[in-house]
Amino acid sequence: MLTTLLAALLFLHQTPQSSPRTIAIDESLAAAAKLKVGDKVTLLGRPAAEDYAVMTATPSGYSPGVAPAETVIVGAIVRRGADPSEVARGDFLVRMHLDQLQSISGYGDRVDRFAVATRSSANVSRLLKEINDVAFGFRAYRSRDIAVETSRTFQVVSRFHRAIGVITIVASSLFLLCIMVLKVEERRRDIAALRLMGISRWSIVKSIIIEAALVAVLGSALGVLLGWIGSLIVNWHYQALYHTPLEFSIVTPGIVGMSVLLSLVLGAAAGVLASLRLVRTPPLVLLGR
Amino acid sequence: MRLTLARAALIRHRARTLLAVLGVAVAAAMLLDMVMLATGMRESFRQLLLSRGFDIRLAPKGTLPFDTDATIPSVSAITTVLRSNPDIREISPVLGAAMHIQIAGRDISGSVLGIDPSVQGDYELLSGKDVSDPDAIVVNDHLLSQLHARMGDTLSVATGYDPQTRTYSGQRKLVLTGRVRFIYGAAEQSSGAVRRETLEAMEGGARRDRASLFMIRVRSGADPDRVRDWIETYIPTVSAISIATAIAQVDQRLSYFRQLAVILGAVSLFVGFLLVTTLMTVSVNERTGEIAVMRAIGISREHIVEQIVAEGVAISVAGAVLGLGLGLVTARYLNAILSAFPGLPTAIDFFLFQPQAAWSALGLLIISGIGAGIYPAWRAASLPISESLRREAIA
Repeated sequence: MLTTLLAALLFLHQTPQSSPRTIAIDESLAAAAKLKVGDKVTLLGRPAAEDYAVMTATPSGYSPGVAPAETVIVGAIVRRGADPSEVARGDFLVRMHLDQLQSISGYGDRVDRFAVATRSSANVSRLLKEINDVAFGFRAYRSRDIAVETSRTFQVVSRFHRAIGVITIVASSLFLLCIMVLKVEERRRDIAALRLMGISRWSIVKSIIIEAALVAVLGSALGVLLGWIGSLIVNWHYQALYHTPLEFSIVTPGIVGMSVLLSLVLGAAAGVLASLRLVRTPPLVLLGR
Repeated sequence: MRLTLARAALIRHRARTLLAVLGVAVAAAMLLDMVMLATGMRESFRQLLLSRGFDIRLAPKGTLPFDTDATIPSVSAITTVLRSNPDIREISPVLGAAMHIQIAGRDISGSVLGIDPSVQGDYELLSGKDVSDPDAIVVNDHLLSQLHARMGDTLSVATGYDPQTRTYSGQRKLVLTGRVRFIYGAAEQSSGAVRRETLEAMEGGARRDRASLFMIRVRSGADPDRVRDWIETYIPTVSAISIATAIAQVDQRLSYFRQLAVILGAVSLFVGFLLVTTLMTVSVNERTGEIAVMRAIGISREHIVEQIVAEGVAISVAGAVLGLGLGLVTARYLNAILSAFPGLPTAIDFFLFQPQAAWSALGLLIISGIGAGIYPAWRAASLPISESLRREAIA
């Protein structure tokens, strides 16, 4: 219903009326309609399509009919809550008193929904059953169930992000492996010399694994820093774009831990693969003799 | 000669070359996917809107088609005004509503469209007959599977459900005459269509002579945007949406995916570039002696540069070709994930393969391959010959 209401025309009203009531509008509406606190506006309760009466049907067009209207004052400009389901819609939001909205929309003594808070000790399932058994004309749902139903879009986006994440990990693994192979091969003469000096294969492999792990940890530390900066940029950009305080990107300790661990494992694995190739090759071959 | 030497250099380190090609292939696959995502969604939506030849949609003022329950009043008067414009060729008013079908003790809900079958652009008939008489209904496969009904069955269809009184405003026996595919419908949506006058009668007086949407076909050669402006001037009760404005609105709603595509595409390109640059730099460092010998026997700097760049380009091209196949497979997988968006028309593809997208990805990778080879090639060509030879001899 709010969407319907917001689709209605909202324009500056010149004629003062006696003690108009106040409404709160969101920042994006204030910016789009160039409204500030104290401005008077006229609200039409239904979409314009409902409020224009077709008077004539000629090529010169229609004469709009007179629509019921109410003058109110912008009492506050508010920042909207972080509701992901509203982000991309670009709707404007007006908050007004319930009786005022019921009157202007012609809804009468009706509401779209009741929000019911229960005591912490209440048995919610039993309560739901009791309400639904006696209710006439509405159904009660648990908030969690509604959240699950309305979050299907975000579940899809989340699955998409996970898939992109897997592809990125595959690409990073190949990149890391390639870099490690190059780094180790660059030192084939050093490795040959170490082998000729009597250093065991396993010692060489261990030293390369440690080196690879160090590179991976340092790289992931740099990656975390870049990711954190990227996250700040993403939030700054999308919060400004959608006029919302919603956090689009969050760097949590769990995510940092997982990325460092993943880099460490991948780096060590790349080190093992790269070093095994070289330690199996005779030292003189490595020296090119 | 240059190409032969480049090929020999790459073959000499097979494992390294293979890893680099694989790395570039994954980057190329990601780049192709992101190019497809950035351009395909818009193109797919445009194709969907144009699929039935309607250029303009009229929705209740301030809304998008079927975005709210609002309707446009005075359909006949609006139709008369629209017909006065010689650029408008065809007008298709559509009324939408929720319906309930009682069958074998079950209540199956879905949506129903009231249309004029001679000008409708909402569905295509797959089998059976269209809604040629007022008591006919056609349904999509999803609804048909829920109903377990056959052509010719009579269905008890109700509309205008009032939750307060648990009654319907209209109930009617309709004969199932056809199986259809709704062009703008989602896969999991149960839908049917009847004649508009049938639905109006079932919905009661409140929705008489009203429509949820008008679809308009303009005359060949006419400018849809001019017609749209004309409509908005002469019919203030509607929002006229041309293909261009609809695409702009979808762009705005789905801008996240486009921006994600640009960012990930750029990262993929950079990773591919970095991989080839690293490989070529290490390769040049290993071959300083060889390059110095080539320079000492009179081979020109340009020759060396061209050979190194050719190696970089070869890795990029091989990776890009492999990545093209890989990208198509991953695009299908990612598209299947995003197709699960609730209410998304089945005909919409987020990842749409267009040859131009593939060429763009390939072109970008080749340019990055050339760019990646330039620094190592410049280093190789600038090596001091005598010093490099001496260092090689000592080593």
